[in-house]
Amino acid sequence: MKHLIIGTVSALAFTATGALAQDYPSKEIAGIIQWGAGGSTDTVMRAVTPHAEDVLGGTVVMQNVTGGVGAIGLNQVASAAADGYTLLMGAENPLLYKVMGLGQKDYSDFVPINILARGTPILVAGKDAPFDDYAGMLAYIKENPGEVRFGSTGPGGLPSVVTAMINAVEGEQDVIFVPYDGDGPALTALQGGAIDVMPAVLGAAIEGIKAGAMKPLLVFEPEAVATLPDTPTAISANEGYNQYLPWGPFFGIFVRTDTPAEAVEKLTAAYKEAAEQAPFLELMSNRGFTPLNISGDEAQAFLDDWQSTTAWLMQDAGLTKASPEDFGIAKPAE
Amino acid sequence: MSPTDHDTDAMQDDVTDLHEHPRDTRRPGEAGFTILLLLASLFLLYSAYDISGFEALSAPGTLPMVTTLIMCLTGGLIALRTWKLPQIAGQTFSREILPPVLIVMALLLLGYALALKPLGFLPTSFLFLTLSIKLLWRQGWGRTLAISLLTLAIIYLVFRVIFSVLMPAGIFPEAEMLQFFRNMLGGGA
Amino acid sequence: MDAFAAFFMVFTDLKLLALVAAGTFAGVYIGAIPGLSVTMAVSILISFTFSWDVHPAIALMIGIFMGGVYGGSRTAILLNIPGAPSAIATAMDGYPMAQRGEAGTAIGITTVMSFFGGFIGIIVLALAAPSVSQFALKFQPRDYMLLAILGILLVGSLSGESLVKGIFSGAFGILIGMVGMDPLTFTGRFTYDLPLMQSGISFIAVMIGMFGVSEALAQLHHLDSAAVKQKISRIVPSFGTIKKYLPLSLQTSSIGVIIGALPGTGGDIAALMAYDHAKRVTRKPSRPFGKGAIEGLVAPETANNAAVGGAFIPMMTLGIPGDAVTAIMIGALFIHGLNPGPMLMVEQPDMFWFIVGALVVANFFMLIFGLTGIRLFTKIVEMPRAVLIPMIMLLSVVGAYAVNNSITDVYWMLAFGVLGYFMRSYGYPLGPVILGVILSRLLDDNWRRAIISEREDLGRFFHGILTSPLSLALFLAVIFIFFSQTPLWTRLKAKLLRNKNQEAQ
Repeated sequence: MKHLIIGTVSALAFTATGALAQDYPSKEIAGIIQWGAGGSTDTVMRAVTPHAEDVLGGTVVMQNVTGGVGAIGLNQVASAAADGYTLLMGAENPLLYKVMGLGQKDYSDFVPINILARGTPILVAGKDAPFDDYAGMLAYIKENPGEVRFGSTGPGGLPSVVTAMINAVEGEQDVIFVPYDGDGPALTALQGGAIDVMPAVLGAAIEGIKAGAMKPLLVFEPEAVATLPDTPTAISANEGYNQYLPWGPFFGIFVRTDTPAEAVEKLTAAYKEAAEQAPFLELMSNRGFTPLNISGDEAQAFLDDWQSTTAWLMQDAGLTKASPEDFGIAKPAE
Repeated sequence: MSPTDHDTDAMQDDVTDLHEHPRDTRRPGEAGFTILLLLASLFLLYSAYDISGFEALSAPGTLPMVTTLIMCLTGGLIALRTWKLPQIAGQTFSREILPPVLIVMALLLLGYALALKPLGFLPTSFLFLTLSIKLLWRQGWGRTLAISLLTLAIIYLVFRVIFSVLMPAGIFPEAEMLQFFRNMLGGGA
Repeated sequence: MDAFAAFFMVFTDLKLLALVAAGTFAGVYIGAIPGLSVTMAVSILISFTFSWDVHPAIALMIGIFMGGVYGGSRTAILLNIPGAPSAIATAMDGYPMAQRGEAGTAIGITTVMSFFGGFIGIIVLALAAPSVSQFALKFQPRDYMLLAILGILLVGSLSGESLVKGIFSGAFGILIGMVGMDPLTFTGRFTYDLPLMQSGISFIAVMIGMFGVSEALAQLHHLDSAAVKQKISRIVPSFGTIKKYLPLSLQTSSIGVIIGALPGTGGDIAALMAYDHAKRVTRKPSRPFGKGAIEGLVAPETANNAAVGGAFIPMMTLGIPGDAVTAIMIGALFIHGLNPGPMLMVEQPDMFWFIVGALVVANFFMLIFGLTGIRLFTKIVEMPRAVLIPMIMLLSVVGAYAVNNSITDVYWMLAFGVLGYFMRSYGYPLGPVILGVILSRLLDDNWRRAIISEREDLGRFFHGILTSPLSLALFLAVIFIFFSQTPLWTRLKAKLLRNKNQEAQ
């Protein structure tokens, strides 16, 4: 406890100099993490924020506000004052809330401070699965309709998007979808043989693949990834994936749209610097994420593009509750 | 001791000993409470059916229906048993179950929860502690105020300062105050 | 560095030793305060220790983990408010002991037994981690479902005056756990289109309400009766006492390790299952269970601390968290440039032995901090009720708020507090409600996963259960306990016996 106090005090020594010079931040900033403690969003945010605090000269108190696929946290930030003292630390999910009928708000009510990194989706199979590669999997599904078990994480999650891509490119696959809480529990189930195939994010699967506990089938990137150079890319397997890639889940920090410009600028600068730090970049590459570190218009363009690709993909797969058109989400250019 | 003991001697008295202590009287208000629970269970059963009906074994509403059905059945059984019992003599609802002090404390708590957001953590908690300790303890204002201030200070220190739980700030600018103290400390260090 | 040196690293490095000590000390108090959780403390530490080396960071976290799991028992015994979910079972016999003025004895036994359980967990982690984790991986959704049913059958043990009321309470608990957006399909369940219902009802809010506020309300009836004077002459249990409970604590520790090692189940379920186990195997408890039986303290406390070592098993061998705290620790290892996964044990066995060493040290500190400062703690219960009750209420409100920074949770907490008070008054046991909430997701999710995997075919589902040795064993255990816990079996047996007697005559 003593250490905590001493630490808090010494961390605040930085605060003193900053707060005297400028108005923002004059008190702690709350960082609302959409996902639970120990998840990848949580880890990434808790890793990047300490350095941003130093630059900012303030404290960011991070809290996990979970539930409703992140919508609870998002709504909490949306209903807080637009003064720059409440940050939303989130992932890609909110961009699908509207079409999936999970909420009325998404990132269009927010300004992106920084889109930190993008993940790479990968298709992995259990080590005892009766196929060793992507083509083998498709053939096996065809021969044994309704027998192969895919892990999923509910509508709008990464597995549902990747599966929608596979269905769009290769035609409808007759498989069973077994729902899990997240890719962590699903990959555990994959190793125990409860499911056969799981579309997951590379970082979550990489250690299992290295140990031979699961077989990589396909990476969803235009080019082979450094950590798994021998795993074929989706585009090499089927040209059709070209129109969707690169695609992947991402992590970003947001504030409400009407936040004062001074706060937005300071936060943007702080997180930009924090995301350039070597330890953070190393963490990202270890976990198989592609660092983006984009903000402003560039980040907004990234969000729009992501939303239009994914929302229309889900719409075409018949998984949406409302058409993206209803929310003015443009159809992606062919 | 439990009936799974493979000790047949012990088995005999266990049956009545462990599970069923059928009371031969009911407490004031108990009969009404069982009916309330039964009605709530029936309503919940209907809500459970409303989730997905008999769509599939794996449907989100299947287990809720099973659960609420069990609630209805046991709730019904409890109600039936309770109604057969005579009410316990010499007890009244307003004395044994819901005496005035309980109602007052429950209302204080409710008021506390309602005012927490608009008024903020510090003033509401202080009011709640002072009022309730004064009411229950019946001691002088000095001791009451001292105890509630001390309690509040400890809780504030542990939750707010050490664990950074952002309690609702409300009308009292405590975040700014805290930052001021931290700046002073930081400046001094 | 070889394994030996890594193991003794914490013992020899003064700074690490101090960090484990500080962590354990803090953990005891974090665990004791409802609303402050180990999960929360450890996730704060992730940012806080970001710039540290990996060893001090992990040492501090392990201290907090060990101390926190133990600390929950303090408030459970003294105030009947479990400081953490894993101490729910502890309250059932610990609080009656405190009411008899034996709080010191109860805390002493709890501490020594937690220490013992902690050690069993660490020994299993050190010696058998790979095989236990392989066993844990074998659990299929249907096995988790059977495990959940096994847990729900504990209702029989937790019901006080009436089994029927216990079943009602248990079903109610399961229902509470189901409220909100269904995590598998995002269908609203019992949400009535209200946004505040969508995130469901926080389990901690239910726990604090049912145990904290309802207890405080019930205590209002005894405002004027004097507080129980605590005798604290005998804190450290005698060697004879420890020896007496050795067989039981070995069994309950094993339960703790296994349940702790299973991803998705943790110390809370382990403690409840151990309590039930103790109730079934103990022929002559020191006092009836629920009235201050020592066995009722020994079982959950050995189990929940053994579950700590258990939780590290899948984390260290597979990179799979055994519970919420190890999930955060995995994140911490990532941040510090390690890659937890199946290869960690192969590539960096030092880290494994360092963690084992740190756990051992933390366990010793837990014993030391547990056995000191009891006098101060017992003073809490000797305070006048008129002061204690408002304090408990305030702490309940703050604690419920702190879990998820949500005012909604405070309202839920109060609602369940009032409901809990009435249920208490009319003889509905509250233990089964909490049990139901804890097991609700485990049961519902895994039932659905299991039946989806078998394409909604009950025939295939039962075929799966009967052909897998693990599932079959769990299934038989469910059947056995079901019949032995319900009056059905005993009635049948009594009837058979009577027939036999008549024949004999």
